[in-house]
This record gives sequence, structure tokens and C-alpha cells, in this order.
Amino acid sequence: MSNKNNKSAQESVKENTRASSLLDFDDDDPLGATAVSKKSLVIFFLIDTSGSMKGKKMGELNTVMEELIPEIRRVGEADTDVKIAVLTFSTDIAWMYSIPISIEEFEWSRLEASGVTSMGAAFQELSARMSRNSFLNSPSLSFAPVIFLMTDGYPSDDYREGLKALQSNSWYKFGLKAALGIGNEANDEMLAEFTGSKDTVVHAYSGGQLAQMIKVVAVTASQIGSKSMTLSDETNKELTEEDVMTAKQKMLGQQIQELVKQDDSNDVSFDTGW
Amino acid sequence: MVNLKVGQEVELEYGGKAIVKREIGRGGQGSVYLVEYNGMEWALKWYDSSKFRDIAEFRKNLKNIVSDGSPYNKFVWPKYLTKQSEDGQFGCLTEMVPESFDSFVNILRDFKVVTDPLTSHLVRKPVRFTRLYAMVTAAINIVNTFRKLHTAGKCFQYLNDGAFFVNIETGAVLIGSCDNITAENMDMGITGKPGYTAPEYVLGKAKPSRQTDYYALAVALFKVLFRGDPLEGRKVVMDICLTEEDVLKHYGEKALFVMHPDDDSNRPVRGIHDNIIKFWDTYPEYIKDAFVKSFTEGISDPEKRLDEDQWQEIFIRLRSEIIQCDICGRTNFVSLFDKIDSTTYKCPKCGYDIATIHFSNYDWRLPVYKGRKFYECEINPFSDDFLSVSGEVVENKLRPGVMGIKNCSSRTWKAKMPDGQFHDVGPGKGFPLWQGLEIDFGRVKAKM
Repeated sequence: MSNKNNKSAQESVKENTRASSLLDFDDDDPLGATAVSKKSLVIFFLIDTSGSMKGKKMGELNTVMEELIPEIRRVGEADTDVKIAVLTFSTDIAWMYSIPISIEEFEWSRLEASGVTSMGAAFQELSARMSRNSFLNSPSLSFAPVIFLMTDGYPSDDYREGLKALQSNSWYKFGLKAALGIGNEANDEMLAEFTGSKDTVVHAYSGGQLAQMIKVVAVTASQIGSKSMTLSDETNKELTEEDVMTAKQKMLGQQIQELVKQDDSNDVSFDTGW
Repeated sequence: MVNLKVGQEVELEYGGKAIVKREIGRGGQGSVYLVEYNGMEWALKWYDSSKFRDIAEFRKNLKNIVSDGSPYNKFVWPKYLTKQSEDGQFGCLTEMVPESFDSFVNILRDFKVVTDPLTSHLVRKPVRFTRLYAMVTAAINIVNTFRKLHTAGKCFQYLNDGAFFVNIETGAVLIGSCDNITAENMDMGITGKPGYTAPEYVLGKAKPSRQTDYYALAVALFKVLFRGDPLEGRKVVMDICLTEEDVLKHYGEKALFVMHPDDDSNRPVRGIHDNIIKFWDTYPEYIKDAFVKSFTEGISDPEKRLDEDQWQEIFIRLRSEIIQCDICGRTNFVSLFDKIDSTTYKCPKCGYDIATIHFSNYDWRLPVYKGRKFYECEINPFSDDFLSVSGEVVENKLRPGVMGIKNCSSRTWKAKMPDGQFHDVGPGKGFPLWQGLEIDFGRVKAKM
């Protein structure tokens, strides 16, 4: 946020907090409270819809996502307004809906796969949208967004350029980032560049794994994302800002790793049996 | 974590099996299932061991809680522990919260989602206190549950909005999340939300104790009245998003009350914190003072926080200062009625005069209007009973228009009647309200 914007935001907030004028009779009923504004959490799904995703992978992904929505609905803390935004990238990039949709009303629209993998362009687009003036315009408190990337191959454009744009975005910096590589072609190291840590990168080689990984990551991330804090483990020590910095991202990494270890599905690999 | 399946049997520690019927919720510590056990429906909280620092310690504590039993029947207390499964998972059974109680979460957000029995569609149903009396009574009841818990030497490890269940018609309160209750000064490392957590605990400087509970109590009461977070104002909203550092800052080291009398930098923001802006000035000074003290001095000095006795006194006074205008029905606190002289209020809406009565145990006068109740604790300084009605202002059934006070207690009072003489007023009897009225309740005397 630029200095100029910052200042005008501050002024407008100041303007808004002046002592209220006298209330009229209909307005002073202590029972006439309005709903408490919820904190908001946007979950971004970045989904590879390039041609290589065609067939079983895409079918599986669509099914899992349809099942996932009600599951996230249940996880969401009641005082958090969870919203979903889905950005798909193949030759072109496209948002499933033009704005993030509240989880209560979100309906998955089935995706189809074709074309090449413009991941860099997707990063650029995400960076442009992750701003107070665009997708993250909730007036009340926002949690850092959850950003979940799913891909089965190597980007066909210059993803580093896009990632650079993303890395300068504050929301991205604070955000909870996770990535899922699908099949043998996906490059975990490149995905770790995106998430900033290997712990939050998982890999699925089969349909069963894909379903499980998507659920594990999305549910864990939305749970952690809609929680305001992690309390200290060692109570004798006073917490400093450094202690808690990126605590959520670390926690996400740990939990994902723990859950991945429990994975015991051994069904047929995506890349075999064709 | 391992989820339970519908129809699955879960063995209890001391015999018997609970059968899983369906999942009813999921939270930060695990899932909650509706189960059947001994022909009754129960809630089974099934813990996710990965969410605990030390699940064995948690189980040990839970076992103690179950065997200690509930200190008060308003706690939805863990009743039965299950056996541990092979991979160490376990849960505990609690009674179901009756449907007449609403989660505080729904009260705060103003509605609940229910299934319409006719169409089976999900519909929103408003959730609102039906009377001012119920709202203030809910506050008193919350105070009382904290007292009962502390008297038993226990405290909350962690609270959130979902821990409170309230009957919006009567103000009755039930407390859930009791599996997180421990003896004082234990730290189970339970993670939670900063809202109810005392700053010294957020900062890792203290363990959960009676003092951290007093902080949580002030937050709960603030939310009942003002429907907002006492520390979330302009400063907090100005941040890009609520990161871990921000939480530490705004709920820990730099915690600043939104209504701090000497620092307005964290005031509520219109459009987001409208309730606090709207209601703050409608409450009497002693209410505002109590919250200012709790969230200014009480932020850094836990000893300065109000205890249950202080809160109870304040809220019993607030309840006694509700006026319902006999003519137009306007119901509000005395602070929102005009005062024409030291003994009379005037309804600002219809202009009707409302008389007051003075009780010897209070420094303030109590408004008198039809339907006004006097509680046992108000006429007996040795009583803690804030729910039993001992007297009520009623209209004489044989002489319409004549108002009086009916003795609903089991004792005999004395009252000065319009003939200038004191007469005995037994249980079920009454006496008219008049200019020279004096009442002798026994330990408390009252005078118009």
C-alpha cells in the first residue's frame, strides 16, 4: 500500500469514528444490535487446467473439489466469513467467478482441461487481485489468505517473473501457501519456490492420493487460516514478534507433513496403466 | 485424525458402547458426533491428538474432570470418557445442549440456520434476546458460572463465543467446552482465539488462572452488552491483515481498549463496529467505568480486574434500573429516560412520569412500573439469590388502575398504608403504591 493511500485510509477511518450524534428512539434499543461483522478469510485455489490434466486427473479433481466445499463449510469457525476464489490457468487464465464467493453459497463449476501451462501469468493475475482494491476488500478484519496451487507439470511460461510480482505482494507474504504436485511430471522444487518451504508441498501420484491430499491441505489450511493465533508452548518465556512470525505457515507445514505420513493409499498411479 | 463412521461403536472407559449417529460439528480440537448411549442421545467430542501439545496430559486432566463432576448444573460437563483406540484416539460424552438454548455465536451474528420443517430448505431464523431483562440476566448468569467454577478451584484454559449457550427469553446460561477446564495454574498449551485470552497469557507470561478468567469474563460481558471486541478498533483494522505479529501486538503487548478514555487511537470504526459506537453512551456511567477499569488498568495489572462479586453487583443494579413505560411500553435503562427531579423519571417518548422508590441498602432509587420485579437479593442483603422474585408491581384486580406491590416471598413484610399505619403484609398479599409508602422487608427498608 502506498503512503498516499495509507494516509487517506487513515483519514477516512478517523472521519468515521467521530462521536455519534444523538440517537432517536427507535435506535437506542439495547436489543437492537446488528450482527457482529465477521473476520474474513479468502482461500485462493490456483488450478492447472492444461491439456496434461485431461482425463482422470481433472475428473478426480472436480469430484474432490465438489466434496471439499461442504467440508470447509463445516470447518469454518462461526465468526469467520470464508470465501473461495478459483483461478485456473492453461493457455489462458480465468477466474471461476468474478469475485470471491462466500463458502455458504459457493458451488463448484466443473473444470475442463486443454492447452499449455501459463503459471507465470496466473501468478501475475493473482498478485494484481490480492489487494484491498480488488478481491480483498472486506471492510472488517481479514486473516491472511490461504493460497493453494495445484499443478501436474512444469510451467510453459516464465513463472519466475510472475513469482517475483507475487513475492512483493504483502498478502502473499503473510498468506498461508501450499502446493500439490500431481503425477511424476510436477516439480516439487519449483513448487517449494512458490510456497517458500518444502513442508507445505505435497505430491499425489494416484487418484486416491489426490483426493486425500487436496482435502488434507485445504481443510488444514482453512482451519489454521481462520484461527487468530497460536499460543506459546513454553509458558515461561515471553513471546516476541520473531517467535510468532510465520508461525501459521510453520504450523501448516508440520501438520501437512504429519498427515501425509499417515497416507496409506496404494492404488494405481496416474502415469501408469494407460 | 481418524474420523468416526456412522454406526460405529465406541467403547466407554467403564463399560457400555456409544453408537455414532452423525457428525454435528468440527472444531479446533476435533469433531463432535451425535451418539446414542443407554437409550439417550449424547454429544461425543472425538479429539484429534495432533491438535494437542500433550494428548496424554489432556486425557489425564479430562479423567480428573469427569471424576470430580460438575461444580454447578449450568456446566455441560464431560460425563464419560471413552477407551483409547489402538492408535490412541479417544473422546468424551457430554449431554446435549437443549434446543431452547442458542449458541452465543448465533446471538452475535443475529441468526441461526435451521431446516424449515415444511420445505426442508435451510432458512435463517433471527436470534435475539426477547427482553432487556433476559439480556442483563444472561450477564448475571455468566458471572455466576465463573464464580462456581472458581469456588471449585478450577479455571478455564480457553474460551470462545461457542462456549456460551443462552436462552434468549429468560437469560438462562449453559457453559460448554468444559473439557478445557483444569485446576488453576496448569497450562495445557491449548491454542485458541485471542479475544477472550488475557494479554499476559497471549504473551506467554502467565498460565491460565483466576485472573486470566477475570479478563475473559470482562470480554464476555462486554460482548453481551456491546456486541463487539473490546480491543478491535481502528488500529487493528488498519493492518493489512491479521497476522500472528498483529495478534501479539493488538491482544498482547500493545493491547488498547477501543473506549480508552485518554487514547482514542483505537476507536471503533463506523461500518464495522457500529454496535459499540451506538451502545457505549446509552449505558450508565458505572457500567462504562467497570469496563474502562477492566480494559485499561486491568490489561496490564491482573489484580485490577473486577471479580465476580463486583460484576454481579453492577449487573444486578443494571437490571434493577430497567424501566418499562406503563403507557407507551418504551423499555430501556434509566440512563435513557429523562429525570425531572430526584425522585421521578419522565418517558422521553410519551411524557409519562415514572416514580421511584428508595431501598435502604442502595444509594440509588429504583423505578417503579407495572410488572417490575424485586428479587430476593435486593430485599435481603445476605442473599445471593438473583433469580427468585420476592415482590412484583401489579395492578389491583378488584380496583383497576390502582397499582401496588405484591409480596411473592414466603415472609411477612410490614407496609405503611394510606391510613398512616404499618400493617402486616403476608405472602400473597399486597399494598398500594402511594406518596408516603414505607416498607419494612426485615433487613431492608424502603421508602417512596
